[in-house]
Amino acid sequence: MFIYITKRLLWVIPTILTVLLVLFSLSYLLPGDPADIILGPRATPEMAAELESRLGLDKPWYQSYLIYLQNIIKGDLGSSIFKDRSVLKVILNVLPYTVILTLAGMGLAVFNGISIGLLAANYNNSYFEKFLTMISFITASTPTYIAGVLLIVIFSVNFNLLPSIGIGDGGLLETIHHLIGPALALSVGWTGYIARLTRSSMLETLDQEFIQTEKSFGIPRYYILYKYALKKAIKPIITVIGLGIGRLLGGAVFVEVIFNRPGLGRLIVDSVNERDLPMVRGGVLVAALLFIIANLIADISYAYFDPRIRQK
Amino acid sequence: MFKSQKFFRFKKKSTRVINIMKKDYKAYLGGSIIMLILISAIFAPLIAPADPYKTNVIKRLEGPSLENLLGTDSLGRDILSRLIYAARPAVLVSFGGIIISVIIGIILGLLAAYVGGIMESIILFIFDVVRAFPPIILILVLLSIIGPSLLSVIVILGVTIMPRYGRVVRAETLSEKEEDFVEAARSLGADNSRIIFKHILPNIFASVLVLSGMDMASMIMWEAGLSFLGLGLQPPLSSWGVMLQESYQYIQTAPLMILWPALAIMLTMLGFSTFAESLRVALNPKLNQEV
Repeated sequence: MFIYITKRLLWVIPTILTVLLVLFSLSYLLPGDPADIILGPRATPEMAAELESRLGLDKPWYQSYLIYLQNIIKGDLGSSIFKDRSVLKVILNVLPYTVILTLAGMGLAVFNGISIGLLAANYNNSYFEKFLTMISFITASTPTYIAGVLLIVIFSVNFNLLPSIGIGDGGLLETIHHLIGPALALSVGWTGYIARLTRSSMLETLDQEFIQTEKSFGIPRYYILYKYALKKAIKPIITVIGLGIGRLLGGAVFVEVIFNRPGLGRLIVDSVNERDLPMVRGGVLVAALLFIIANLIADISYAYFDPRIRQK
Repeated sequence: MFKSQKFFRFKKKSTRVINIMKKDYKAYLGGSIIMLILISAIFAPLIAPADPYKTNVIKRLEGPSLENLLGTDSLGRDILSRLIYAARPAVLVSFGGIIISVIIGIILGLLAAYVGGIMESIILFIFDVVRAFPPIILILVLLSIIGPSLLSVIVILGVTIMPRYGRVVRAETLSEKEEDFVEAARSLGADNSRIIFKHILPNIFASVLVLSGMDMASMIMWEAGLSFLGLGLQPPLSSWGVMLQESYQYIQTAPLMILWPALAIMLTMLGFSTFAESLRVALNPKLNQEV
């Protein structure tokens, strides 16, 4: 296990270096001259030259790449072109909102998904089960942004129960009130997925011999279902949670835009629109790092539950 | 003689799959939704009751009526006609994107499995780098480089999803390569290209087919999402994402308008995913009892 984890960690380093190279090359790939975009048409050549040296565009690419790497290691992501603020500070300001949103979304998805899946497994082959399966298919095929839009239409416009924008004024109740809609929207897709996974995993476990043995011992049905079977069936669900957190980070982009919340996703969308290159680079780097970590956790938990993977 | 035998063997397998799917309500549901979308995409001008681009400012934001079954949008265009026409970009994006990612994925996956060594490491590394970004963010950044258009959306979606196919094709090729029937073919003097096309590709076809059904749904989802953010297809082209974005601005005054494109996207995704699920169960005999 230890060897497997070390191997996976070592494999991540070249990936991150290449991610950095890709982000670095953005300054050459993005259309238009950065100096033109930032300074506008009335810029003097001196101003352009000063800006180019500040962005490291006047040196050969490998030198500027090394400087870029050095700065990253020092924790310096540069400063935003427009706001004249440190990119790292801006990101650290909005990151907690995205993390909370993602975790809340995942929590809801796990809770609702497992509940639906258990019910479906319990009432297998009934019309109620078909209904629940259909529900999980429908939620699994609802994109985050559509869930968000529908929630706003139903709960904010029609019934005026939930706020449709913002994060509240900072009080705990306000924060939670503003989090319900976005977290629910984010969770919808994974609720269906986890429900289907729970159902098939439960059915598979209930088919096994140790359950038959317990039945023949006369252990009550709910005890078998929720204590013995669930304990074993929950493993594949735990392994997808890491994967799911990574996916929800992507979904948070839409939720943050629709509900007008601050966050990493909206920051990236806004800076792509404004062509704020250092901000795009920094935001995408942090998003990619979080994504890599989530995937790493998912891989390691797979290996933890399935020793065959470790040997590969 | 030999050829016709082969044809019958293929026919037998597909008949078996179709027979299993005939008993599955998900296959009917998914299949009919996909047919509906294909028909609207191909015959849009014949089906649509009005011109999707004809504006009429006097009749803007009207509710459903006999003349405009689903009402009109902010420029007075017929929503039903726009919905029907929007099936075209959806079909183009999903089929185009999937063809690109399957072709590149199969080529890279086969190369990795067959050449091995440094080539395999490089290809796997490329997959890892693509997979290191959250898909939607990678798509956003790539689109901002190339610029939004139908073609760039198709190509970028294809490239973003490609590593899934590459990894599946590589893994399955590696295990198929060790199978006895491949060994037998090789000892009979079959060269690599014959083994790949006659023995390995037909065997990995099933997993690629199921995977692509699910990915076509995600491509439609991403296209609409990008257009919704204003970074994908651009108005006045009618796409479900563009319609979603246009009606989002009127969500407080005309909330009914946003339901139609939302329902269209959900229905499409439901169709592709239920059909793919039913196909997955039918193609995998071990799972058959679950139907």
